[in-house]
Amino acid sequence: MQKKDILDAGCSMPDARRSRKSRIENQESRIEEVPYGSNCVRLSAREWLIIGIVFSALLYFGPTLWERIEQFDAGPDYRLPYDLSSDYWLYSRYCRWACSRYETLVIGDSVVWGHFVSKDNTLSYHLNEIAGHNQFANMGVDGIHPVALAGLLKYYGRDIKGKNVLLHFNPLWMSSRKHDLQIDKEFHFNHPKLVPQFIPKIPCYKDSYSRRLSAVVERCVTFLSWTSHLKITYFEGMDLPTWTLEHPNENPLKAITLQLPASENGAQSERISWNEKGIAKQDLQWVELETSLQWNSFQRSVEMLKARGNSVFVLVGPFNEHMLKGKSIDTYRKMKSEIEAWLRQNNVPYYMPEALPGELYSDASHPLSEGYAMLAKALFENKSFRSGILRSE
Amino acid sequence: MLFHTWPFVLFFLIAYPIYLALKGTRLRLPWLLTASYFFYACFNPLYLILIAYSTLLDYTVVAIMEKRGRRKILLLISVVNNLALLSLFKYGGFVTDNLNVLLSSLEIPYAVPAPGIFLPVGLSFYIFQSMSYTIDYYRGNIEREKSFIRYATFVSLFPRLLAGPIERARNLLPQLHKTPRVSKQDITDGLSLFVVGFFKKVALADYLALYVDKVYAAPEQFQSPALMLATFLFCWQIYFDFSGYTDMARGIARMMGLRLMLNFNNPYLATGLGDFWSRWHISLSSWFKDYVYIPLGGNRRGTFNTYKNMFLTMVISGLWHGAAWTFIIWGAVHALGRFLTRDLERTSFYRDKVPKLAKQLFVFGFVTFAWIFFRAESISDAWVIITRIFSSGLANPYCPLLALALTLTVWLYQFAYESRVKWVLELRPVRIGIVVLMVLYLAIFAPSSEQPFIYLQF
Repeated sequence: MQKKDILDAGCSMPDARRSRKSRIENQESRIEEVPYGSNCVRLSAREWLIIGIVFSALLYFGPTLWERIEQFDAGPDYRLPYDLSSDYWLYSRYCRWACSRYETLVIGDSVVWGHFVSKDNTLSYHLNEIAGHNQFANMGVDGIHPVALAGLLKYYGRDIKGKNVLLHFNPLWMSSRKHDLQIDKEFHFNHPKLVPQFIPKIPCYKDSYSRRLSAVVERCVTFLSWTSHLKITYFEGMDLPTWTLEHPNENPLKAITLQLPASENGAQSERISWNEKGIAKQDLQWVELETSLQWNSFQRSVEMLKARGNSVFVLVGPFNEHMLKGKSIDTYRKMKSEIEAWLRQNNVPYYMPEALPGELYSDASHPLSEGYAMLAKALFENKSFRSGILRSE
Repeated sequence: MLFHTWPFVLFFLIAYPIYLALKGTRLRLPWLLTASYFFYACFNPLYLILIAYSTLLDYTVVAIMEKRGRRKILLLISVVNNLALLSLFKYGGFVTDNLNVLLSSLEIPYAVPAPGIFLPVGLSFYIFQSMSYTIDYYRGNIEREKSFIRYATFVSLFPRLLAGPIERARNLLPQLHKTPRVSKQDITDGLSLFVVGFFKKVALADYLALYVDKVYAAPEQFQSPALMLATFLFCWQIYFDFSGYTDMARGIARMMGLRLMLNFNNPYLATGLGDFWSRWHISLSSWFKDYVYIPLGGNRRGTFNTYKNMFLTMVISGLWHGAAWTFIIWGAVHALGRFLTRDLERTSFYRDKVPKLAKQLFVFGFVTFAWIFFRAESISDAWVIITRIFSSGLANPYCPLLALALTLTVWLYQFAYESRVKWVLELRPVRIGIVVLMVLYLAIFAPSSEQPFIYLQF
């Protein structure tokens, strides 16, 4: 490797100039000399076409075939397992299943899902008890605030068409600017994949553009929400690499048991009243209805469901007013009357019950079992509920 | 905006069709430059000032050289300016930290304030590329590039902007001169390169990183098997990460009708340390050979000077990788390895009698050992790892078997690729099968990765 010291070769420049021309002339041929790579993975257009066909088939048929393989035994009073709350593919599948078997879908957050009660003490359970047959499906999802619910119904609840829908609105989501997602400081809220990723802007949502785009793509490509289903259901919500780090010696394929967890899975909250828990009365800082992101999203959900030919009945609350103190009671009542005005103006049948007895709440918004029974009874006594939801009887 | 994220997909879906539409027109280069600058500005718009400064400087220096002759002072202006930029942004913190340690040990009650400047991504790569243009022109190896837009595109071309390959003007500039012919084969080749790179990064590098990061974050809590496995896996992680990036960069460029140089050529199959450096980060190794080792005197001035030049080159190469003593030691360890094996590799015994596999495993073992210094958070951590590898117990390492299986499969593939059974890998069903498996794995199991490339920090 006897090379000349070129940095110190200013004096020999004429030589360099002579050879430069030929070197530059050779440049074209050098371009062609660049080696392709260091493996044999080099496919022709026809071979890529084969890959394209295989992959398209997988994209299209994979999730459908999976539905045939994976058991889904949603019996009476079924609700999505707590641990699968963010499994939107399963929600979509459950929607199809429920639409084909139930007349009325009860949609809402953890109040509908029954956060502090077992699956046979939820609102839908008590409604079915009174109805005497399985008419009401529990379509509640834990932690699904109205902004996320609008996304859930838009992208994963497309099959809810021409049904009776009992849509619950939980005023808790307007009990502070934070609950209403209006604060500027970033914080972790539930179901970020379901909220609008770019427009309208949610001030506290500051995820990277990459994650937001990823969420948008996942909503549109069923295959991707199915892969999320695999991760959530079989790999404890982790991706495969992270799961194998937790279970280094286990075979990941064996983890895919094709058995969905039971409805009660993961729900371990204390089933006692808020008084016993020692929760103090609060002066909540309700947000204005006009500027509320949550209320605006709820309105969109109502309109979306109606546009799909559903018969929508709205249940507002009942919020635990016993927990309120100071001005917040008056503000809450004012807000309720504004909600009522909007529902009336838009011809949406509704029921806005008075608060249940204080001891029947587990916190600000979740009734205990007896509370659900009382609410179900009150609903059945409501004229517009009977004429709207129970009209088929 | 990294290659394996959705924003890049969106960017490319806009930039590429416009590029194809403009490729036969005068607007091709302005568009490519705009796209490249936009791509870079997505990291931080202020970065544009740096790249524009470096580009303008070298373009002007070479223009003056053309008018006034290839004067050494002009070359020095370019080199000093570029190195000053690099020093300020990359080594400012390192220098002040070490100065403060020195002042404190001398009991001088003064601390030099830390510059508090962050390292712009890709700085080391485009500075080296731009410098090579000036040096090559000074040496008479290339003609001056008259078009500023073409030269700026050469420096900032987005597929290779963040982490190379560090292209030479003689390879890339002629390609920017002619109207590219984007054939069907270019697109399919580009796609093949991209998919392989994507798999390396998302499915392999980021996977191995989970275990490596866990162990290297607290090496004192792990015993010999875990430390050895983490080091073994880091060896592959950094390869998958960097060569994955390069494959994607080359794939994107290929789809645009541009051919970037091969940067990795199965380095863990090397049969000697010299061979390793001709297979690992080829664009940087050859840069250091051409612009540091040979100007220092190369191997022309006797054995002592050869080793001295080799040592300096390797240490500078280590320092290029990062402003920390661990990188300097990593470079020095490689230099030491070269000292010890250079003459041995030339003997007929080593060449003819030692089985190839033994040579490969020896080189792999040595390189893996050196990576400990590269990856460790500090010299003391590196020391803890080395001592615990040889002295601690044999507790279960709890290393994911799947990660090991995937890594060993790739290693076996590489062995097969450089053996007599290569023809099997060339069979159509095998090639298609491999891509199907990679795509399936990526689609179903891979995480939605946003992990940056390791080499972005350099």
